[in-house]
Amino acid sequence: MNSAFTGWPGVVIMVVYGLIMLGIGLITYFRNKGLHETLDEYYLGGRGLGLFVLFFTFYATQYSGNTIVGYAPTAYRIGFDWLVSITYFIVIIGAYLLFAPRLYVISKKYKFITPVDWLEKRFQSKAISILAVILMLYGLGNYILEQLVAIGLGITGLTGGTIPYQVGVVFFLVIMLIYSWLGGMRSVAYTDTMQGIALLVGVFILLIGAIIYFGGLPSAADYMQAYAPEKLGVPSGASIAKWFSLLILVGIGAAVYPHAIQRIFSAKSEKTLKRSFTWMAWAPFITSGLIFLVGIIGIGAFQGLDTGESEKLVGMMASIIATKNAFFYWAMIILFGGIIAAIVSTMDSVLLTFSSIISKDLYARYVNPGASERKKIFIGKIFGIVAVAIILYIAWHPPATLYRLTVLKFELLVQIAPAFILGLYWKGLHKGSVFAGMLVGTLFASYLTVSGINLFGVLNGLWGLMLNLVICIFGSLMFNVSLKEKENAKEVIGM
Amino acid sequence: MSKPKKEPIKNGKLWIVFGIIFILSVPWYFPKDSYQPLILGIPYWAWIIIIVSGIMSAFLTYVFKYQWQLEEEKEESDYEGDDKQ
Repeated sequence: MNSAFTGWPGVVIMVVYGLIMLGIGLITYFRNKGLHETLDEYYLGGRGLGLFVLFFTFYATQYSGNTIVGYAPTAYRIGFDWLVSITYFIVIIGAYLLFAPRLYVISKKYKFITPVDWLEKRFQSKAISILAVILMLYGLGNYILEQLVAIGLGITGLTGGTIPYQVGVVFFLVIMLIYSWLGGMRSVAYTDTMQGIALLVGVFILLIGAIIYFGGLPSAADYMQAYAPEKLGVPSGASIAKWFSLLILVGIGAAVYPHAIQRIFSAKSEKTLKRSFTWMAWAPFITSGLIFLVGIIGIGAFQGLDTGESEKLVGMMASIIATKNAFFYWAMIILFGGIIAAIVSTMDSVLLTFSSIISKDLYARYVNPGASERKKIFIGKIFGIVAVAIILYIAWHPPATLYRLTVLKFELLVQIAPAFILGLYWKGLHKGSVFAGMLVGTLFASYLTVSGINLFGVLNGLWGLMLNLVICIFGSLMFNVSLKEKENAKEVIGM
Repeated sequence: MSKPKKEPIKNGKLWIVFGIIFILSVPWYFPKDSYQPLILGIPYWAWIIIIVSGIMSAFLTYVFKYQWQLEEEKEESDYEGDDKQ
């Protein structure tokens, strides 16, 4: 791809962004000396994240680089159907209402670090905890893999190939590992803030540039009326089913993402958490909403691109806009940095959660409960790096067969939802049934995905989730919970 | 003075309202393939979906502010001090 950022400007942008992130890590490290002494401090920022930082770390975790580079082409290809990308980010916030209020209070009382801490406290079942750990580590691992590939493609694409794929990936990985190592959750949250702002500003100016130089929405509508009325029209039955299943699956699935849950634990107060969620409820309009418009404008401006070409839509638009004048040139630089940063910032959150699960749920719970907190953190960091190295290897040597195993993430992560949410309210929830539901739901969703089956246009993860829920609920109605378990549940969730 | 505790999950009315907004946020109730009138280049039904989405955000804002109150409020601003000393 020919880009306005081919050659040294592309390299300079990447290096400057990297150095800023590194700087934030260093400052955090020197300002918070006790950071590596407790799990609370390292993984949750001492449970002291304020409104602004908490909002941006939620924001950067939820919106990745893919929201920009992937969603605009989707809008380009399917037209106004893609409005769903606004609603589903709002539904995620609505889904938090199902569990965040009570979970926050309980997490403070019992000092939870990871989502598994909650399951352990509630069910006191090794089987459930270990299955949840496996699901989370596997799902998060695939998540990291996806982000790694995105960084590589993003950098190569944005700099017109000046920076080779591997160099770009390794450069940002090393930076990310260093600042995460130094500052834990605080570094991650502060860099998220910087990255989130760059992304917001960049997207906003991209839209303005697109309106000025590509004719805006009315001319795109004229084109669609003449050549592609299906992109303007009300979607048909199959699309409606997909729309509903996307809203439900993404809403619940993304709300119970382990890294999102840890952000709930990190909030300074209930008030801070509520306000961050309020901001998040409006963020879709100025993020996926603006990107949606950019994609729609593209329909008129870049007519008749095939799927592969349309994937480069944002790059093509930004390159043209950047050549117009100095203001837009710099704005597009911010956007490009923002896109890369958004990918890095999603990955750092996921990696930190990954490490915390190793530290707390495996090492501290089963291997060496007597270890110092410092040592637990150290183990988490080391295994985090090892995991990244393995994932990097997979990214460069993608498995020829069973490659679908690497796309499983949502399907797996969403399976903890019934245990997680029902457990907060239902004292009679039967742990054997919870375990069976989780296991069967996971296997079923994975089977469908791996064998490439899709039933009635409903997403595979949702089939697994429904099965899981049915087993969970009917099992609990059929089997009695022992008095002791009921007492424990009452003590933990009774408020 | 502490306010009475409120938990959104226990308030059935909230979920009925949310459910209605949710159902209306998907364009199943328009004639298939229609798009006229276009306003500012956006089909009429898309405007309605955008407005319903806005109502969903506004409703959530209301719930967060007035229907969720489990923790005792402390006398502190949540803007200051992102770092705990």
